[in-house]
Amino acid sequence: MSLLVLLVVAFVGTGAALLVRARPRIASAVGLGGLAVLFIAALALDPTVRLDVGGMALVSSPYLRLFLILGAFTGLLLSLIAVAAGTRRDGAAVTLGTLGAAALALSIPDARVAVLAITAGGMLGVLLTLVPVGARVGAGVGLRDLRAVVVAGAMAVAATAWIGRDLQDLVAQPVVFGLAYLAFALAVAIRFGVIPFHIVVARLTDAVPETGLPILIAVGPASLAIVGLAWVDASIAPLPVDVGAERAIVVAVAAASIILATFAAWIQDDLEHVVGYSIVGDAGVVMLAFAALDPAAWTPGRIWILAFVVTRSAFAAWAAVVRDSFGTSRLPDLRGWGFRSPLLVAGLVTIIVASVGLPAFAAFDARSELVGLALDGPLQTVVLIATLAPVLYYARVLGLGLRRLDSQSARAVAWRPTWTPLDMTDVRGWAGRLYAGNRVLGVTALSLVLALAALATSMGAFGGPEAAAGLPPADTIPGETNP
Amino acid sequence: MNPALAAIAIAILAGAIGAVFVRDARVAVLWLAVVLLLGPFLADPIAPASGLVARILGAVLATYLVWIAVRDGAFQTGGSRLGWPADALTVAAAAVVGFASHGLGAPTPGPEFASAVGFGLAAASIAPILTGRDIIRCGIGLSLLLQGALLVRVGLGGTPTTLESLITAGTIAAVGGAIGVLAMAARSDGTAGFALAEELPPRRRRATDLRPDPRPTTQDDLE
Repeated sequence: MSLLVLLVVAFVGTGAALLVRARPRIASAVGLGGLAVLFIAALALDPTVRLDVGGMALVSSPYLRLFLILGAFTGLLLSLIAVAAGTRRDGAAVTLGTLGAAALALSIPDARVAVLAITAGGMLGVLLTLVPVGARVGAGVGLRDLRAVVVAGAMAVAATAWIGRDLQDLVAQPVVFGLAYLAFALAVAIRFGVIPFHIVVARLTDAVPETGLPILIAVGPASLAIVGLAWVDASIAPLPVDVGAERAIVVAVAAASIILATFAAWIQDDLEHVVGYSIVGDAGVVMLAFAALDPAAWTPGRIWILAFVVTRSAFAAWAAVVRDSFGTSRLPDLRGWGFRSPLLVAGLVTIIVASVGLPAFAAFDARSELVGLALDGPLQTVVLIATLAPVLYYARVLGLGLRRLDSQSARAVAWRPTWTPLDMTDVRGWAGRLYAGNRVLGVTALSLVLALAALATSMGAFGGPEAAAGLPPADTIPGETNP
Repeated sequence: MNPALAAIAIAILAGAIGAVFVRDARVAVLWLAVVLLLGPFLADPIAPASGLVARILGAVLATYLVWIAVRDGAFQTGGSRLGWPADALTVAAAAVVGFASHGLGAPTPGPEFASAVGFGLAAASIAPILTGRDIIRCGIGLSLLLQGALLVRVGLGGTPTTLESLITAGTIAAVGGAIGVLAMAARSDGTAGFALAEELPPRRRRATDLRPDPRPTTQDDLE
C-alpha cells in the first residue's frame, strides 16, 4: 500500500500543481508540498511490497526507495531555491511528475511498460522550456526536448518489445540482438544528451533555469538508464552472441562524452553551460555501464547513477545560487566571488570532492570499476584520467572566485545573517524585510546542504552500495508481502 | 487474416497520410485523431474494456489538447512538400515491409497488421520529424512515431495488459499536451503562428549581462 500512496501523491500533486499554474504562488506551494509529502512517503516506503494492478505487478525495492528519497530531497531543495530565486513556476510540478514516473517505471518488472512510463514523465520537461519573453524560441527548445524524449522512447519500446517475448523458435540472425541492444543504449544516450546528441543539452541550458537542468537531463534519463541496465543484464548479456560492433559504438559514445564534454565545460563562459556539459560528461560514465555488457557492472552502475544525480543536482543548485547572488552567471563577471561569499566556496569545494571523489569513496570506486569493465588497453588509461578531468573546470571556477577584488569584480552579497528589530505595528513588513535581508543566505545554505548530501552519497552513505547490489524488480520476490 | 483488422489498418494508414499531408492544421489534427482512436483496436484480441476505454480517453485528450491550439484556424501547418501520392507510396511500402517481416524472426502472439501499420506510421513520421519547420507538423510526426512503436510492440508482444494500456494512454495524452503547450507558446509570440524560431549558432562567448545592482552592496549597508 505504501507504494500506491507514493504514486498517488506524486501524480495527484503534479496534476494539482499544473491545474493551478495560472497562479504561480499557489502552484509553487502545491508542488513544494507535494515534494515534501513524496519525501516522507519515500522514507515510509516498504522496500518489499508487491502490488497487483491491471494484470501486472508493481514491486518496490531498497534501490527504488533510496532513489526516491534522494530524488525527492534534491528536488525539494532545488525547487525551494528556484522559488526563492524567482525562476520558472513549474519546476516543482515537473520534478514531482518526473519522480512519480520514475517510481512507476522502477517498480514495473516489464521493461516494455517501464520505458513507456519514463517517456510519459519526460514530456513534462517541456514546461520548463517555456519562457515569458521569446516564447517562440523557448517552444523550439521544448520541441527539441520533446523530440529527444519521443524518439528515445520509441527506440526503447521497439528494442524491449523485440526481446520481451518467447524467442525459442528464433530464426533471425544474432545481429538483431545487437541492434536491439544498440537501440536501447542509444535511447539512453539521446535522453542524457551525451555526445553526439548534445545539441539538445546545449539548447536546454539556454532556456531552462539551472535548477531545472538536473531534472530534465539527469533524473529522468537516469531512471531510463536503470531500467535499461536491468534489461541488458537480463536479455543481452547472457546471450552467446557477438555484439562487438554495437558495443564498440556504445564505448565510443561513452568515451567521447567523458572526454569532450569535460573539455566543453572547461571552455564555457556561462555557468549554466558548465553545469550542462558536466552532466553530459558524467552521463558518459553511465554509458560505460551499458558498454560493459557484464553483470559485474550492475552494482557500480547503479551506485554511480545515485551519486551522479545528487552531485549534479548540487552543482546546478550552486550555480543557481551564484546567479541569484551576483546577478550573472558569466564567469568573467564573477571575479572574486569567493571573497564575496565564503559559504559558496565551501559549497563548491564540497561539490568538487563529491563529484571527482577520492579513493575508497563508493562513487569513485564504482566509476573506476566501470572504466575497467568496459575498456582495456591505452583507452582505459585515457578515459580513467578523463574521469578526473572535471578538476579542470572546477579549478577555473574556483580560481576566478579567488582572484583579487577590483573594479570589475563580482558585487558584494549579503552572505551573513541580518536581523531587523521586530516592528509590532507592521509585522508583515518586518517579516518581508527579514526575508529579503536573509534570502541570499538562505538559498546559499540550501545549496550547501545539497552539497553535503552529495558528498555523503558519493562516499556511499544512506546504504547506497547495499541497495545498488540488490536485484531488479521481478514478478515474484522472496518473502514478498501483499498489501 | 482478419478482414476487420485489415480495414482498421487501412484506415489508420490513411489517417497518417492525411495528418502529414494537409496544410490546414485543424484537418491535420483530425486525421491524427483517426490514427490515435483506431490504434487500440488493432489488436487480437482487443484489450480489456478498462484498458480500451483508457486508450480512447487518452486519444481524445491528446487530440483535444492539440485542437485547442489550432481550432480557430488562424495558422496553417507546413504540410507535405512531396505531395500525398509520394507520402502514400512511402507509407504503403513500409507497411508491406512490416507485414512481410512480422515477428522479425520469431513467432509472435500479435497480429501482422499491427506490425504493418507500425512500420507505416514510423515511415510517415520521418519527414515531419526531420524536416518539419513548425510545432504542429513536428508534433504530429512525433505522435505518429510513438503510435507506430506501440503498434510494433503489439505486433510482437500481443495485446497489452490493462496497466500497460493505462500507461500508454497517459503517454499519448502527454504527447498531445506537450504539443499543445508548445504550439500555444509559439503562436502567442508574434505573428508567425506555429513556425519555429530561426536557429542561432551555439555560443561560447557572450557579452556581460551585469546590470546596476539595486540591492545593498555591502554588509554595512544592510546593517
